[in-house]
Amino acid sequence: MKQRSGLFDLVLGTLALVSLVIIYAPLAVVWVFSNWQPVRVRGALQLAPFSWDSYVALTRNADILGALGTTLLVGLVSMLLALILATTFAMYYWRTAGVSRQIMQALVFLPFLLPPIVVGLSLLIAFRELDATRGAFTIVVGHTVLLVPVVYRLVLTRLNSLSPSLTEASLDLGASQWQTFRHILLPQLGSALLAGALLGFAISFDETMVTLFLSGSTSTLPIRLWSMMRLGFVPEINALATLVVVAAALATAVFGVMQLSGKRGER
Amino acid sequence: MDDRRDLWRMGWAAFCLGLPFLFVLAPIGTFILYSFWHNESGALVREFTLENYRAFFADPVFRNIYLQTVALCLGATIVNLVVGYAIALFASRRPPRLRFALILMFMLPLFTSYIIKVYAVRGILGHRGVLNELLLASGLISEPITAFIFSQSAIFLTFIVLYLPFAILPIYLSIERIPENLGTASADLGGSQMDEIRHIILPLSLPGVVVAALFNFVMTFGDFVTPTMVGGTEGFTFGRIVFSQFGVALNWPLGAALAVILLATSVLAVGVAGLAMRWSTAR
Repeated sequence: MKQRSGLFDLVLGTLALVSLVIIYAPLAVVWVFSNWQPVRVRGALQLAPFSWDSYVALTRNADILGALGTTLLVGLVSMLLALILATTFAMYYWRTAGVSRQIMQALVFLPFLLPPIVVGLSLLIAFRELDATRGAFTIVVGHTVLLVPVVYRLVLTRLNSLSPSLTEASLDLGASQWQTFRHILLPQLGSALLAGALLGFAISFDETMVTLFLSGSTSTLPIRLWSMMRLGFVPEINALATLVVVAAALATAVFGVMQLSGKRGER
Repeated sequence: MDDRRDLWRMGWAAFCLGLPFLFVLAPIGTFILYSFWHNESGALVREFTLENYRAFFADPVFRNIYLQTVALCLGATIVNLVVGYAIALFASRRPPRLRFALILMFMLPLFTSYIIKVYAVRGILGHRGVLNELLLASGLISEPITAFIFSQSAIFLTFIVLYLPFAILPIYLSIERIPENLGTASADLGGSQMDEIRHIILPLSLPGVVVAALFNFVMTFGDFVTPTMVGGTEGFTFGRIVFSQFGVALNWPLGAALAVILLATSVLAVGVAGLAMRWSTAR
């Protein structure tokens, strides 16, 4: 019996290992190609000797650097907007009762639940009806709509975990609503807002499907990559992709450590 | 003072309800409205018509691609469920630390750029891509396999690589939630490990499987980026057709109607998942 379950684990383990190799293979290939550039010798794939050439070329590619700047700006602005709006909405849900808060919450969550293609084209159509030109502004609107539900969820969860006596005491002692929010609630929301900011920025940085509808002639990095890849191969893409993956992995690690240490602190 | 406070409160409510109305509900309403309008020689005609919906149901090209895409996404979902279940089960049988590390490793690729992964997969599957070169070098094949790229099967493979982590997590969480003493009880009563898996873990983790299936199906069905990047001219999917109405084809009302059908399909999937969930927890 023991032997049979050992064999069973071996089969499952092999499958897990093969799957890991498969889902990491794309990332590995991108990195290898960034340092050992692929060359075609009579159609066959060969690797050039190790070099940093593709990274050097990347620093000279104004197109990509411009798109990177747009991406960072869009990410920062939408993230800040999402933090402010999501906190306002979460406070509204927390402090009021009745159907209106349910309606608000349903609408806030909707873009998160709908297929991105539907969110993207709804906004595209709405902007056309308003005669708005597509550009950084429309992208920011799209991203904010996507980020608000994520931050809202985090902030509301945190608010629900707070004891109501905190605000009651503050109001009893004569503080105004604003003072209570500013000095009692806001400090408590810090970790939720930080998590929301990181997650929101990461989502905005990577967003492709909604942005494709809203970008017009302004390109964020994913949109730039999308059009470059359709036109043809540029070695800089591999360098850029490697850097993005490394940055994402680092951010995830930092985020994970923060969450873990945060939990330990709360205990 | 009280008046001012009431005014402030009303303003707050108007803000919190108004913004979601303006930026979420109004665009969706406009988009659905558009699906009932139509294009006439490039110009938008704002009159109610079912023309676009008729085009979908009457045109065998649309219908076939729709059914093909449903089949493709269901297929990828099933593969991911089976593989994802095996991995989740394997992880849940490891000691806590290793378990955590394993799940984290499977989740990490989700935090890396989506478009870069599609691009990299294309480089692997390409006609003279990494996979074909490896197979050629190993002597298993003598000619590059063309089915890897720019075909329905290319989309299928890419969906599996990209969406597998979305299947693992819900299943793993539902296995994790099963009380340990159920397993102990089963062992005490003489049940083997296989009995435990078949009669305890599998039935109790079904809700996680349902969530995983829903995630996978809805996300792959709405994905138009992967099919465009690896599908070539052979690999047309429904999402791609919707997107192309807003680009090359430039027939927004038709695109809106097709997107309504895409949305209805996703909602239907949610409904089916709800029923399956009730069925799986009822027993």
